[in-house]
Amino acid sequence: MKSKSLKKVRVKFNLNCRQVEIETKPNKRLIDLLREDFGLTGTKEGCSIGECGACTVLVNGNAVNSCLVLAGEVDGARVITIEGIAKNGTLHPLQENFLKHGAVQCGFCTPGMILSAYALLLKKQSADEEEIKEAIAGNLCRCTGYKQIIEAIKYTIKEMSEKQA
Amino acid sequence: MIQKFNYVAPKSLNSALKILSENKNAKVLAGGTDIIPGFHIESRRFIDTELLVDIKKIQNLHAIKERKDFVEIGACVTFAELAENELIRKYFPLLAKAAETVGSVQIRNRATIVGNFVNNAPCADSVPPLLVYDAKIQIQSLKKTREISLQKFLIKPYATALKKGEVVTKIILPKPDENFVGDFYKLGRRRAVAISRISLAVLMRKKDGLIDEIRIASGAVTPIGTRLYELEKFAKNQIANSDTFKELAIMLGEKVLEITGLRWSSEYKLPVLQQVFYQLLEKVNRNEK
Repeated sequence: MKSKSLKKVRVKFNLNCRQVEIETKPNKRLIDLLREDFGLTGTKEGCSIGECGACTVLVNGNAVNSCLVLAGEVDGARVITIEGIAKNGTLHPLQENFLKHGAVQCGFCTPGMILSAYALLLKKQSADEEEIKEAIAGNLCRCTGYKQIIEAIKYTIKEMSEKQA
Repeated sequence: MIQKFNYVAPKSLNSALKILSENKNAKVLAGGTDIIPGFHIESRRFIDTELLVDIKKIQNLHAIKERKDFVEIGACVTFAELAENELIRKYFPLLAKAAETVGSVQIRNRATIVGNFVNNAPCADSVPPLLVYDAKIQIQSLKKTREISLQKFLIKPYATALKKGEVVTKIILPKPDENFVGDFYKLGRRRAVAISRISLAVLMRKKDGLIDEIRIASGAVTPIGTRLYELEKFAKNQIANSDTFKELAIMLGEKVLEITGLRWSSEYKLPVLQQVFYQLLEKVNRNEK
């Protein structure tokens, strides 16, 4: 297909609690839109085929692989990336606990891993270990062996429930 | 950057059908979990695509609706929505179980069940359960609406009876008689994001200790998901016991060998298939969930 016949797509969406509007190529993937057009390079590209989860972001509160979504598909949606979960310069408890529990080694899987855990916490504040494992089953980590990651998420859940009580 | 194509997201089915009828290299986009990585790996299946017609902005394709004798699943219903849905869990537990095992959270949040069989990969997890529930599908084009059984719709790997300009709009699932019990089994190399090596669905109704009706479907071990009518016929009115189940397991191995021929993996796969099928039948017979 000749490139001159490509029709630009206009996308209006909410990105990390800010309304944005952009015109982009119709064959642009969400991950490329985030990284190239918005400079949000916290979202990582690993396998590009939906197996590793490094590119995980939230669309309307659900974890999705941003390598499997086209930019045009998020028109009207709410998108949250790893850059959007700290509030006023304070890290999210998940981020704090990943650091504290040694859940970050090379760091490449970390944004996706944290966002999968974040999506779980949005749906369920009292998730058990099995539910945590299921929530991050689509995120590969080749360094930690997952133990520290699961610990960090468990600890966050405990902390948040204590805070509420 | 993936290959070049245009993208549109019409708000009504009619305008989607019109666009599809006017562009011969247009493809429907629903979940995108197959076509977008397909572009990335330059799959020949999608290389001619010049236009993607995203159907997710069409409101009435997102519903799961209960009717008197059946339940309808719209073309944009995702596996995550399916797995959580009360109607599906109540009437079609095998389908709910299969939906839970697809891919990962991220995949289930995007991938649609209709896309799973329109794509018709041999390993499509939703196909064996849909087949034992006698699923029908509704297909629309600008000119007409037609209904066809899923078994007839599936032709060969990655090929279906869908014609140019047509869209599968919904699945129609007849509510099974409540005396049916069944289960779905899937074997992958690991639990998550695994391509199925073996998938099986069994639905059985007993009467006075005899198998009154049994429905058996396989996926991954056969070129496409398929009902095993010969086995079903053999089992009818047999005593529901281990001897019958062993016999059925042997028959399944022979049937799969007959369909696929001897492969490098047969030495492993056939005995495993027979064993897991036998265990599945025993489990269904005990009515364990």
